[in-house]
Amino acid sequence: MLARALFAACVLLMSSFTAPPAARAQEITVFAAASLQNALEEIGTVYKQRTGHNAKYSFAASSALARQIEQGAPAAVFASADEQWMDYLQQRKLIVDATRKQLLGNSLVLVVPAGSKAQVDLKPGFDFATVLGSDGRWVTGDPGNVPVGRYAQEALTSLGAWDFAQTRLVRAENVRVALAFVERGEAAAGIVYSTDAALTQKVRVAGTFPASSHKPVTYPFAVVAQHDDPTAREFLAFLEKDEAKAIFRKYGFVVH
Amino acid sequence: MLTSVELNALRLSLQIALVAVIASLPFAVAVAWLLARRTFVGKTLLDAIVFLPLVLPPVVIGYFLLVLLGTKGPIGGWLYETFGVRLIFTRWGAAVAAAVMSFPLMVRSIRLALEAVDRGLEFAARTLGASRFDVFFSVTLPLMLPGIVTGSIVAFATALGDFGATITFVGNVEGETQTLSLAIYSLTQTPDGDAAALRLVVISLVLALGALFVSEMLARRVRRMLGRA
Amino acid sequence: MSERLRIDAAKQLGAFAFACDLDLPLSGLTAIFGASGAGKSTLINLVAGLYQPDRGRIVVGSTVFFDAAGGIRLPVERRGLGYVFQDARLFPHLSVRSNLDYGRRRANRRGDGAAVAFDAVVELLALGALLERRPHTLSGGEKQRVALGRALLAQPRLLLMDEPLASLDAARKAEILPYVERLRDEFAIPILYVSHSLDEVLRLATALVLVDAGRVVTAGSISDVLLDESVRPFLAAAEPGSLVFGVVESHDDRYQLSTLACDQFQLRVPRIDLAVGTEVRLRIPAREVALALARPSDVSITNRIEGSIESLGTQGVGHAAHALVKVRVGASTTLVVTITRESVERLALVPGLRVWCLIKSVVLDAGALVLARGRAAQRVSAQMPANDARA
Repeated sequence: MLARALFAACVLLMSSFTAPPAARAQEITVFAAASLQNALEEIGTVYKQRTGHNAKYSFAASSALARQIEQGAPAAVFASADEQWMDYLQQRKLIVDATRKQLLGNSLVLVVPAGSKAQVDLKPGFDFATVLGSDGRWVTGDPGNVPVGRYAQEALTSLGAWDFAQTRLVRAENVRVALAFVERGEAAAGIVYSTDAALTQKVRVAGTFPASSHKPVTYPFAVVAQHDDPTAREFLAFLEKDEAKAIFRKYGFVVH
Repeated sequence: MLTSVELNALRLSLQIALVAVIASLPFAVAVAWLLARRTFVGKTLLDAIVFLPLVLPPVVIGYFLLVLLGTKGPIGGWLYETFGVRLIFTRWGAAVAAAVMSFPLMVRSIRLALEAVDRGLEFAARTLGASRFDVFFSVTLPLMLPGIVTGSIVAFATALGDFGATITFVGNVEGETQTLSLAIYSLTQTPDGDAAALRLVVISLVLALGALFVSEMLARRVRRMLGRA
Repeated sequence: MSERLRIDAAKQLGAFAFACDLDLPLSGLTAIFGASGAGKSTLINLVAGLYQPDRGRIVVGSTVFFDAAGGIRLPVERRGLGYVFQDARLFPHLSVRSNLDYGRRRANRRGDGAAVAFDAVVELLALGALLERRPHTLSGGEKQRVALGRALLAQPRLLLMDEPLASLDAARKAEILPYVERLRDEFAIPILYVSHSLDEVLRLATALVLVDAGRVVTAGSISDVLLDESVRPFLAAAEPGSLVFGVVESHDDRYQLSTLACDQFQLRVPRIDLAVGTEVRLRIPAREVALALARPSDVSITNRIEGSIESLGTQGVGHAAHALVKVRVGASTTLVVTITRESVERLALVPGLRVWCLIKSVVLDAGALVLARGRAAQRVSAQMPANDARA
């Protein structure tokens, strides 16, 4: 009796495992940088209302996504948080060059847990140690490969604080994980995008990095070569419509 | 050969795994003893909790640890306030994560060894004047040794390889918590990191195989000493 | 030595109920005899403390092991015991020497003294060559010898043995039995010895407790118990007979006979190869004894022993024609004699009548002889109260 019920459950479970791709023709898979999550999800809802198509997202660090696309991941559209990772794919002929567009901008901020009183003036020679305390750590995406981490390293280097900062760094997989650590109060500080900081009450912006201290934060979008089709191009075009732009602005992005 | 980052990761991995195993050994023996020898209310529950790390996704375990042992968590907060001890972002936290993940395997192995000990021998020891405490250390424990050895080494190998729990709880801190697994993960995200990642993968393989080999040799040696008892 | 071993206990183990009320001598070797499942091991394990009685009292000499009323439960390790198990139970992770030392070291720590010396035991049990070996390399007989030594070296006030020879073959048994005898005789440590083998019991015991279905049937000195009628069904394998104790007095080279000095009489037997002064036990089957009203002189029968009839009866005989006569010879020895009922009437045998017991020497050969050494044999003859709970 139990055995039969289990068997039936297994069959039911597996029946949707290998649904023919045709059944998902109305879907479009989008790989996007983690910081775009909230904005794109809202846009996705509107997109569905307007066109009837479903946008399936995968949000992660641009580095992780780029590597996955390189390995053949079935993304139709890629949105990176920096030019380098888009360049990486372009060099490998993995995107449709003609579709590459720089859609958005962002700014870099230093955040602290909401309860912290730290305030700092982010200019050359600023004392990071006072923000962190004697044993506090700060968190951001891995400067080795995650865009926000690269911007952070750049900014701190130009402000002369990198050597010290490096000794207290916690590397997160992407900007949202970094934000979560600061929200929890486990990290004394973090470097994230201003759009991320705006999403939560649990962190406070202690200071904004001057735009001159790092390469401009830009979000290039492109269609992935392997899955170039009308739906993909249509989605990209939708992102440039006023409706989508308004949503981006709402979340604090600079719209180009 | 290996860069300093890679060497750090290797050394850290070995240290953290070693600390994890040594620190959890007494607890594993105690828990194994409770489960093997005693009946009490909540025994099934204890059994289930001990085995959770084997069944749950490692990230979930890492999350639990984060919530409980982070400096803002109930236990972690108390540790921080009272002793100034911080586990998150530290090698000690990494050891805790590794220990929790490898605990079930250690307990299982030790429990099996304990259950195989002849209770008749223990009674004989008592008739010869040994208190229960004495019996445990002079008879039971030595006879459990092969199981303890195997359990420890398997736990060591498991601790070495942990990723999900470690990265979720203590994050990726180079030189503190960046074990081999985390280093390999970072490298696979980095452009041109493949070669280095591969080097570390090979090292991990060698370590794992080595651990299993040593475990088998040691267990065999101990079994021989006991006369295949 | 008037120290006693008192066991007044009851225990329910699953469906098995055990109860006894015993008052035994705390000296010599007391055998606990009975069929498998009778409760022998239960009794010895209650004394050992493996389980606690449901009610009662266990007192060894002046030490209370258990007292339900007083709430006393002495833990096993403080009872001062030595226990020899049927399966030796040597510690596999220790050498023979360390096994032997195990109890001794703990006795030292308790300050129990060192009455039993390491070297003496090694010598007694011939363990010298085995000292550095590991238990798993020993034969069954060797393991039991080490087990004996280990139990002895724990400086016990009481030695417990639960069928120690049961798992050995005949040759090993014959090899180990003398060691147990020496143990009984050379160390003044009382022994409780569980066995289902009558041969072992006849050879080793100075007192006997007969157990059946969780009850004690009878208990007392070995010779008395063997004469007890109620014991007959349990010794079904054995014929009615008497156990006589004696000392080798002299050897006759010419006729190859040996003379044994027994309790107020002598017995001549085919020559046995034992030194003068050796103490022996003789088993005399009842059917081998004849009775005469006067001391016959023109007869070939060598042994003619005077005595007086204690009792007559037909209970426990193997044939309707037979009768069992008990004759008191010497100060404290009773001979059991099987003759025909017809003869009883013909000779007009009545209790109190003076008669002569006639035993052919030829019959008292090595088969009848139950070899035993030791003074303990004599000590038991003192009458002991046998407290038992008859079923």
